[in-house]
Amino acid sequence: MPKKILIVDDDPDLVEAVTMILESKNYEVAAAYGGIEGLQKARTENPDLIVLDVMMPDKDGYAVCKELKADPQLSNIPVLLLTAVVSKIPTTRYTQQMGLETEADDYIDKPVEPEVLVKRIETLLTK
Amino acid sequence: MPDQINILVIDDELVMREGCTRILSKDGWGVICAENGKQGLDQIQSHLDQIDVILLDLMMPGMSGMEVLDQIRTINPNLLIIVITGYATVESAVEAMKKGAYDFIPKPFTPDQLRIVVRRALERRILQKEADFLRRERERSLRDIATEKSKIKTIINCMGDGVLVCDGDGCIVLSNPAASRMLKIPETSLLGNFVSQCNLPPELSSAMAQSLKTKEMGYSALSQELSIGEAGEIYLRAHTAPVRNDLGEIMGSVTVLQDISHLKELDKMKSEFIAMVAHELRAPIASVEQQLTVILNGIAGEVTEKQEQLLSRAKERTKGLLTLINDLLDLSKIEAGVMVQYKEPLLLQEVILKVIDLMKAEAGAKRIDLQFSAPSQVPLIQADRNSMEGIFNNLISNAIKYTPEGGTVRVTLGEEAGFVKATVSDTGIGIKKEDLSRIFDKFYRVRTSETRQIIGTGLGLSIVKSIVEAHLGTISVESEVGKGTTFTVLLPKEKSGSGLEI
Repeated sequence: MPKKILIVDDDPDLVEAVTMILESKNYEVAAAYGGIEGLQKARTENPDLIVLDVMMPDKDGYAVCKELKADPQLSNIPVLLLTAVVSKIPTTRYTQQMGLETEADDYIDKPVEPEVLVKRIETLLTK
Repeated sequence: MPDQINILVIDDELVMREGCTRILSKDGWGVICAENGKQGLDQIQSHLDQIDVILLDLMMPGMSGMEVLDQIRTINPNLLIIVITGYATVESAVEAMKKGAYDFIPKPFTPDQLRIVVRRALERRILQKEADFLRRERERSLRDIATEKSKIKTIINCMGDGVLVCDGDGCIVLSNPAASRMLKIPETSLLGNFVSQCNLPPELSSAMAQSLKTKEMGYSALSQELSIGEAGEIYLRAHTAPVRNDLGEIMGSVTVLQDISHLKELDKMKSEFIAMVAHELRAPIASVEQQLTVILNGIAGEVTEKQEQLLSRAKERTKGLLTLINDLLDLSKIEAGVMVQYKEPLLLQEVILKVIDLMKAEAGAKRIDLQFSAPSQVPLIQADRNSMEGIFNNLISNAIKYTPEGGTVRVTLGEEAGFVKATVSDTGIGIKKEDLSRIFDKFYRVRTSETRQIIGTGLGLSIVKSIVEAHLGTISVESEVGKGTTFTVLLPKEKSGSGLEI
């Protein structure tokens, strides 16, 4: 039974590209195109892992992540945060700057190399 | 002083007048005669500043000599009067002297006697004139100084920029209304108080204290931005420099304050605009790069060698664009003041070693010898770790970029008069004199056939400079075309300042 991954990003092109990467590795993929839709699909699609974009117009990734982790039914789904931040600046620092603390399980910069993405996802799923 | 010396002879006897004239004009003196007191006084009035000595006969018909003496004294008490006493009586001579005559000569007298008496009076007269001249000179100098002082005071008080001057002990000895207005501190709380007790912004008082301790000679101004009052209300740029005497000793320090609030406002709008544009640009470019990555990895189907070649190049271009956009965002963050907020005591050698480690591959690819040397003990600095990494990342990767294969990039660390000093030198292409002064400007890039191949935004060094300045440091550059370039960064030692062994 393939693992199911929910991708949440407001950019459909990026969703498509990430979907192709994951499908090529035989994951089942569900997509949401905004923070609010992402929260809904987290409940209805029952994903094994969520790839979550940070910058989204309706509800940003930090807020979505906070709600996910606050919900006992969803809190054990690993969240991989997709940040569009320079790799030179550590992500912890970015969150400091944003004045936000997040409980995401891992971070990754986009654009992402397919093997890096897959490796991080595998690590999170085997935890 | 007029050169011609004039002697007025007042005597009723023609023989005396002619005799005196003959004797005295032989010595080159001018002689004016009067045959009675009235005429004598008229001559004095009409030749007011030209008569130096007066020979006055006491016994004359009409106005007596004594009377004439009195009147001359009221006209000009400085005139030297030699009375001629007909009867050689000591009494009349004494009386005349009491009335202010300078000397007397009894009749009859020889030409030599006359010359001696007149010469003595003239010597006295010359001294008197010199003293007079010196007194006037002194008065004029004092007046000039006073005028100059009041002129400078007026200029300083009228200036739109704030001025604070403190003496060598750190006591404020001069401030102007603009400084009080900008700092929101009344002048009475500034003047005569120690810098540490004036409630000045801490960055400013420490800069002033530091400038009093600057050891090296030459112009070493500290420039920094201050925010006063409620956040974002007033922004000041403060330039602080030591004042030295002719022996090079520090006598005090001068701080000039500029209100840059309106510039900041514009700058903020610009930064926000850049940030907005950058965010908007970055999303689609990241998306394009993600799609290219998928295709290049063969996930969307078989890719021919030619296609891979073209797409790889396209991906390099999107990467370059993303770097540029990230630089723009860095800059707008620094300008918004969010980038350099986490200062901690830091060992710079740790930071530099980490950066050098990351750069080894890049240097190795160009067979560049990347060296680092530091003394065993370097003081701590108070700095933001990530910003410091950013600075040396930029300087060292620049050095590698602009150095031809097989060259050397050397990084050194040391100490210099209250500062930790780091240098990054290369054996690269060098920078032309006309470009040197501008390389820290935003978006400035040196355009030559050699630099065309090198990807860059022209923002790196301006970001480096902003970070260094946010740490109260300075950055400078020396370069020789074809020989290489050296960047020198000075960062103030941490206050507790004790060096640590590494």
